[in-house]
Amino acid sequence: MIDTDITLGGALKVSVSKSALAEHLALVSRGVSSRTAVLVLGGIQLRATGETLSLAATDMELSLRSSVGANVQNEGEVVVPGRLLNDVVRSLPDADVVLEHLSGEAVLSITSGSASYRIHTYAAEDFPRLPDIDTVGFHDLEADALIETVNRVGRSASRDESRPVLTGVLVRFEPGKLVMAATDSYRLAVKETPLTGAVPELEAIIPARALQELARMAGDSSTVQLGVHENHVVFGAGSGWLTTRRIDGQFPNYRQLLPEQFEHELALPREEVLGVVRRVSVMAQRNSPLRLRFAEGELTISAQTQDVGEARESLPAPYTGEPLEIGFNADFLRDGLESIEGDALRFKLISPLRPAVLQGPAQDYTYLIMPIRLAG
Amino acid sequence: MRLIVARCEVTYTGRLYAHLPESTRLLMIKNDGSVLVHADAGGYKPLNWMTPPTVFEDEGDILVVRKRAGKTEDRLEIKLLEVLSDVEHDMGEAAGLEKDGVERDLQEALAAAPETLGEPLRLDRREWPTDVGPVDLMCRDEDDGWVAVEIKRVGTIDAVEQLTRYLDFIRLDPAKAECRGILAAQQFKPQAITLAESRGIACAVVDLAVLRGEREPELTLFS
Repeated sequence: MIDTDITLGGALKVSVSKSALAEHLALVSRGVSSRTAVLVLGGIQLRATGETLSLAATDMELSLRSSVGANVQNEGEVVVPGRLLNDVVRSLPDADVVLEHLSGEAVLSITSGSASYRIHTYAAEDFPRLPDIDTVGFHDLEADALIETVNRVGRSASRDESRPVLTGVLVRFEPGKLVMAATDSYRLAVKETPLTGAVPELEAIIPARALQELARMAGDSSTVQLGVHENHVVFGAGSGWLTTRRIDGQFPNYRQLLPEQFEHELALPREEVLGVVRRVSVMAQRNSPLRLRFAEGELTISAQTQDVGEARESLPAPYTGEPLEIGFNADFLRDGLESIEGDALRFKLISPLRPAVLQGPAQDYTYLIMPIRLAG
Repeated sequence: MRLIVARCEVTYTGRLYAHLPESTRLLMIKNDGSVLVHADAGGYKPLNWMTPPTVFEDEGDILVVRKRAGKTEDRLEIKLLEVLSDVEHDMGEAAGLEKDGVERDLQEALAAAPETLGEPLRLDRREWPTDVGPVDLMCRDEDDGWVAVEIKRVGTIDAVEQLTRYLDFIRLDPAKAECRGILAAQQFKPQAITLAESRGIACAVVDLAVLRGEREPELTLFS
């Protein structure tokens, strides 16, 4: 549990541009907790000091912070229901917005032109103290490389909270490269991304959700700052800061999961295979598998859902040998195909009950996918 | 239970007014005072109904069901135009809904194959009695150590608390002071896993269809 901080005593009063406030609120409000068990976690903390209005939100797993230049007439701090504040500010006309905390009434007054709102506030002292980022040492990372790695690996993380380790992405920095791995036990994605310059000393399991939020936040930035604070990892991009806790536990030894030898290695046109998979998947409903039948010179992909219908489509494939039929979860196969770069797909197979591997022309990314047993 | 299939008109007055025009319907008049008007479409839900306590008046071609609703009266008037069937059945004593069918079936299946809990266990006894209720399975591990297994459809914090209570009593016996606990369930709440781990209780996910051999387990990269 994070301790509460000492709060500023005054009644906040600031004037700030509507567009700037709306932009920063949109960023920070993604950190607002959607669970209502702890009321204050549904709030955004506004803190006015010097010439800055700082905004913060947390769901105790990740926190998002940002700050915007403001005309501060009274320094102070207040916590306001996050989604409501975001909705109100977004709808205001393009003019300066005056925020004034009427502390005696526990109300935040918002005025812009002739529009005025009064929003009931939460107790500022209940808002958790967020990790202090001023004392953290940071490394600069190339934002594009980081975002690309997150986007390709993050989708393989689990959403099942009963196995917390699998909801995270293993992030490890090695000399000259960043390695990320994620698995939900049905598929595994591993990406090695070359980095220039010094890299931080870090090996951590970071919640996939936090990394996906970072990718969204850092979209327009050229660099991302990364620092470690006790059990938290801190990322900075643009004017935003994202803090996330590390997930405790042992990440599966993914290297052991990667087969060393395969029975078949096929070069296939990725876009064409992906197109067929997307079309045929429409008929793979209610957990029905996608069937891939490899025969001499041909790959046939089919799906059938009882009482719904079936689909089948073929494309040329450089396959030789005994026919092989293997089933996959349609979503997982599509995810894998989408995460490969370029059009040259290498599809590696062992047998219908052993994992298959999807790779691009480069050796830097591997998507391992477990098949589904096919009936009949 | 009286079942009437009849061409009828139904008028409801009370908190609102509703009229069902002439059509063939099934009227269920239960011994507890419930009256339900069903059509042959529209799913399980009646077109109109009255919940007990009600007053039921059979005036031959008109059935009237009345119920006090605060200061007003709810009234269902069923005008019978043609009775196609009118039968009465003695249903006897009602048996309660068995909500714990899955847990019972899981207990049977795990008793037959306790090793599916992830370690080589052998069953000592089902429904092992303690002062606070019976624990589902009492097993022995490879080293002859005692292992108490509680089985649930969903593993919740309450289930962890329940197994903890059992373990507290079982461990009062010096011979079973080292008794371990396993909570087995088809699915777990994350908070329950956290609490169980903090108390040294293992959690085992079990799948009834797989235990019964009706379905092969899903292929995974690791367990």
